[in-house]
Amino acid sequence: MKPKIGRALVVGGGISGIRAALDLAETGYPVTLVDRAPHLGGVLSQLDNQFPTNHCGMCRMLPLVDRDAGAQYCLRKGLFHENIDIRTSTQVVGIEGEAGNFTVRLKRQPGFVDPVACIGCGRCADACSVSVADDFNAGLSMRKAIYLPVPHMLPNTYVIDPAACTRCGECINVCPTGAIRLYREGRQDFSVLVVDDEYTVRDSIKEWLEEEGFSVETVGSGEEALDLIKQQSFRMMLLDIKMPGIDGVEVLKKAKDLFPDMTVVMMTAYATVETAVEAMKTGAMDYLMKPFDPEDLAGKVIGVYEAEEAARAEEIEAGAVVFCGGSEGYDPSTGKNTFGYKVFSDVVTGLEFERLISGTGPGGGGALLRPSNGEPVKKIAWIQCVGSRDLQTDSDYCSGVCCMYAIKEAMLAKEHGPEDLESTIFYMDMRTVGKAFQRFRDAAETDQGVRFVRGRVHTVYQDTHTGKLVVSYPGEKSRRIEEDYDMVVLSTGQKPSSGTDKLAEAAGIELNPWGFVRGEPFLPAKTSREGIFCGGSFSGPKDIAESVISACSASLLASATMHSAGKGIAVAGDDTPEYIDVSHQAPKVRVILCECGGSLPEGIDLRRLAAGLEADPFVESVSFVSRICTEEGWESLAEKVKTKGYNRLLVGACTPYAYTRRIRELGGEVMLDPSLMDVCDIRSPEFAYGEETGGDAIEKAMRRSLSTGISRLRSVDPLPKQTVPVTRSALVVGGGIAGMTAALAIAEHGYDVHLVEASEHPGGNLGWLHSTVEGNDTAILLEDTTQRIEKHPLVHVHTNTTVVSAFGEVGNFFTTIETADSGPQTIQHGVVLIATGGREAETRSYGYGTSDAIVTQKELEEKVAAKAIDYSAIESVCMIQCVDSREEPRNYCSRVCCPSTLKHILQMKQQNPDISVYILYRDMMSPGFAESWYTEARKAGAVFIPYTTYAKPVVSQGEEGGSKVVISTREPLLDADVQIHADLLVLATGIVPNLPEELAGAFGAECDEDGFFREAESKWRPVDSLKEGVFGCGIALGPGSIEGSVATAGAAAQRALRILSKNAISPAAVTARVRHSLCVTCERCIAVCPYGARSIDPDTNRVLVNAVMCQGCGNCASECPNSASVLDGFFDGRMLDMIDMVME
Amino acid sequence: MDDFEPTIIAFVCNWCTYTAADLAGTSRLTYPTNVRLIRVMCTGMVDPKYIIKAFLEGADAVLVSGCHPGDCHYINGNYKARRRMKLLKAILPRYGFSEQRLKLTWIGASDGIQFARTIREMVEEIKELGPNEARNAAVV
Repeated sequence: MKPKIGRALVVGGGISGIRAALDLAETGYPVTLVDRAPHLGGVLSQLDNQFPTNHCGMCRMLPLVDRDAGAQYCLRKGLFHENIDIRTSTQVVGIEGEAGNFTVRLKRQPGFVDPVACIGCGRCADACSVSVADDFNAGLSMRKAIYLPVPHMLPNTYVIDPAACTRCGECINVCPTGAIRLYREGRQDFSVLVVDDEYTVRDSIKEWLEEEGFSVETVGSGEEALDLIKQQSFRMMLLDIKMPGIDGVEVLKKAKDLFPDMTVVMMTAYATVETAVEAMKTGAMDYLMKPFDPEDLAGKVIGVYEAEEAARAEEIEAGAVVFCGGSEGYDPSTGKNTFGYKVFSDVVTGLEFERLISGTGPGGGGALLRPSNGEPVKKIAWIQCVGSRDLQTDSDYCSGVCCMYAIKEAMLAKEHGPEDLESTIFYMDMRTVGKAFQRFRDAAETDQGVRFVRGRVHTVYQDTHTGKLVVSYPGEKSRRIEEDYDMVVLSTGQKPSSGTDKLAEAAGIELNPWGFVRGEPFLPAKTSREGIFCGGSFSGPKDIAESVISACSASLLASATMHSAGKGIAVAGDDTPEYIDVSHQAPKVRVILCECGGSLPEGIDLRRLAAGLEADPFVESVSFVSRICTEEGWESLAEKVKTKGYNRLLVGACTPYAYTRRIRELGGEVMLDPSLMDVCDIRSPEFAYGEETGGDAIEKAMRRSLSTGISRLRSVDPLPKQTVPVTRSALVVGGGIAGMTAALAIAEHGYDVHLVEASEHPGGNLGWLHSTVEGNDTAILLEDTTQRIEKHPLVHVHTNTTVVSAFGEVGNFFTTIETADSGPQTIQHGVVLIATGGREAETRSYGYGTSDAIVTQKELEEKVAAKAIDYSAIESVCMIQCVDSREEPRNYCSRVCCPSTLKHILQMKQQNPDISVYILYRDMMSPGFAESWYTEARKAGAVFIPYTTYAKPVVSQGEEGGSKVVISTREPLLDADVQIHADLLVLATGIVPNLPEELAGAFGAECDEDGFFREAESKWRPVDSLKEGVFGCGIALGPGSIEGSVATAGAAAQRALRILSKNAISPAAVTARVRHSLCVTCERCIAVCPYGARSIDPDTNRVLVNAVMCQGCGNCASECPNSASVLDGFFDGRMLDMIDMVME
Repeated sequence: MDDFEPTIIAFVCNWCTYTAADLAGTSRLTYPTNVRLIRVMCTGMVDPKYIIKAFLEGADAVLVSGCHPGDCHYINGNYKARRRMKLLKAILPRYGFSEQRLKLTWIGASDGIQFARTIREMVEEIKELGPNEARNAAVV
């Protein structure tokens, strides 16, 4: 019986959509990934550089286990995975049904270019006469109506912008493969009835429309029209109003009664416009005023036709839906203060800045030049919080990403501009809320000389003499300061994606007051409708890492939904095809070349090329296919490979990446391992060299490319690989909310989980936390989760237990745990999740310990819960933020203290509005919607006074015998010292991790410099360790809120399920191995392996390679002095052979 | 010597520079035909002996190009390449090869223009330098 597997639908192909789709696909679900844009990648397709490396690294998101199921190339080029069905230019128009059984209606935008036939040659764009602003370059450059949506994307097929296209048809004439359709063939089936009493009118309309490819019938009266529509079906009727006999309006009424779906357009002379308007109320779609221009008429009919084509929705079944609709940048020109945006061309948004310095940007070279005059930028400023934290633009939230991207851009500006470039960031609070963010900011300031100025810029204007931009802002004592700049970048915030409201309506999910999707308390990935989840910035502003985490946790929930609906991943049988063993055969390469429909440049003789190749003894035969990219072409190729006699296949065509899926499928059909098949690019030489180079040189390059391909295939080692069996259970270390959530998620998928907790009860920090700033009750969350843990038969809770030792690798770990009263035991498990959490940091600063009036946030929380505070007796409270944190040695932001402070302020003000509350802060960190609580706190009358690390507040005892403490600080706006006499001083000391280095080390993971779990990659792999099979979640990973812990727990569980869902993991084709006869066990390869995939077998004293952990980089091979370490498919002989080939 | 057309062998990493070369192709950026690409998974797997082999086979220059520092798909392969190339550059002159013939660059996936420019510049530079020394000398 075929296992029942649910299909998941992921809506939105940005970074979170890609993550969610990959997660579900890697776990074994078939996934449909749709995006309304003609390409995947979302906003990241426009961003070349990401903090903290200030480059990319997105490819690290690609599957690490079972790598060969997806394509292994730059992820910004495109995504391929055998379980993912990608549909671009497609929107969701409705979702019916319930969790586990949804029927989703998808609507595809009309595609005028056949993506299979288009070879991306670009002749159409050269021929196109329309020029419009290019969205990809944020409107900074122009493009044609037929264009490449993203220059580096695959498949690099052209698309037509229907709004800009004039349907002139020039592109159709120049297209060498006939890929452009403009829907002409389909138009034959679109029948139009023209009703007009004047012969000349109806006849000329008939002629015009037939020229456009429509089928047209004409009649001269209303009576005839009504007769005809009963006999023959029409999709559209053009109807004259004034006719003898039955007039147009009457015909319209009757026709609409009979055929309500028929589109009717009225034709009228000026005198009867009112009647025409009246007719539209009766159901006419539009009216045309006589006399009309043929183009207007044709345009209208084409518009109706295309809209109808587009509206044809397709239905698919989905077990669960993950929305990753993303967000979009705020447009400053729509605000009350535009800061000169769209007025002065040197004022740009953050996104525009990124495009300006991009290699694929409008300038092309990536140099930082002023858009106004092309001169180098010497002085540049960033203005923060444009369209964020601003009640005037209806955005009482922090976009969370702009501070970091501004810092990154300021650093990039130094790279792309002159050496002495001066950059300044004007900010309200620099929100460096992530793990390494504060150090990044410090480095920008101290190493790169980026200047940070606290102040809200109120005006940007241009000095008409110098052409420079003048930035005007309030300095100390609110004096106005003006500075000149060459360029000003507006750090625009995130707004809900356009159409979010419509999509939410179609999907039946609720939005929050800011127009983002509303998540459940403590579970932001869960929407208001069961079975529909939300990842990335669709539910609120997020950076890349947060988007990736939330997408992971959303895909986990989707997987759980399908699993509980009985559509879970069945215990996968061995469905890998049994490929023919060719390991003892001499290589015989069958070569099939694409003739590209005869469009190869002159001077290239494919037969001559073939004859040359056939001289190679390893070539079995060379044959030709007219156009492999077409369906017929591929079928003809498939036919050619059916006959036996070869054991390697080389296809010479264009865009090799595009064939990954087909090659895999073909491999299954002919039982030949796909690693023995390859597609070789023979078209690029022509494009790269330019046609003027001449056929000879191009043919030579083609031959080289093919010879290299033959040489590569010849040396592919077809030795079978050992699979790694998986123990399908998990160990979770730490029983806080993160550990419990992760354990439950894995158990709910049917796998055993051992949950190890050092204390007497699970619960962690939820034991002392009582509420959140949003007012959500943490006690309910704790009780609910602990009950579910206790009840779940697959969760084995070990309290009072610690991990003693561990060894093993992904799939098979052996961990010894010791319980206080029952002694040690060893557990075998496939994966491990580290969720050891953190605790409030201790302090000796600001007089802590010298007075009962000085407490930490945790102590205050406990006092509040114990009702030990007499609010009526308190006059004044002072709170100091960032105690010992965000400066060395604890140079990170703990994220939770500022929202806690806001919670405490609002609690106190609610109990007694007369309490004066003073907050001494460095930067208030209330990212996302927490910002609204900051606004509330200020409204409630709390006084926020900034301080710097150079001039920290000083705490002293008040009058003798009094209970007050005195805090002295500098108030910068008053430029004066102030003293606060407080009854209570609350210190926000932040979080320190509970992760012993030995524990992380036992599993092969590491701690970072602050003692948190070191993730493999802060943006793209935020919950993995470099060592496969070891994951971190919750506060062990980094400081975060309860919601954050739940999200990382979900993400880690999802990453773990990817491994647990398999009985055994088969290694990828390209992995390293060791030739033991040459190996002297110098162990240099072990040290060099970035994935820890190599170890010494103590019994045999041989170097072992874990083929699943090995990612095939080949670093070990070049490190090995004896060539004992080799990478499959890239061993020395082959590489040297290739060098010979290319030198020919 | 005017019609000397140098042959350049470029070892490009699968993730960044190969993508950039591909982008240069699809963006119709023309660059000289002198370059022969060999795709490797990572610059960290480029064994110095491949480069020596290329020179011995008569290549006039060798380019090794991968992801930017910190960007390597395989975490740190490009750093390893950098160390090896530095050492190799130090010993090449002893064998009669100008160290100018070996070049290491970082070209990211979206830098098609930079790829084309690098090739153009390299061809110019090697044209100035003249053919590979090994072409005129017997190598034992």
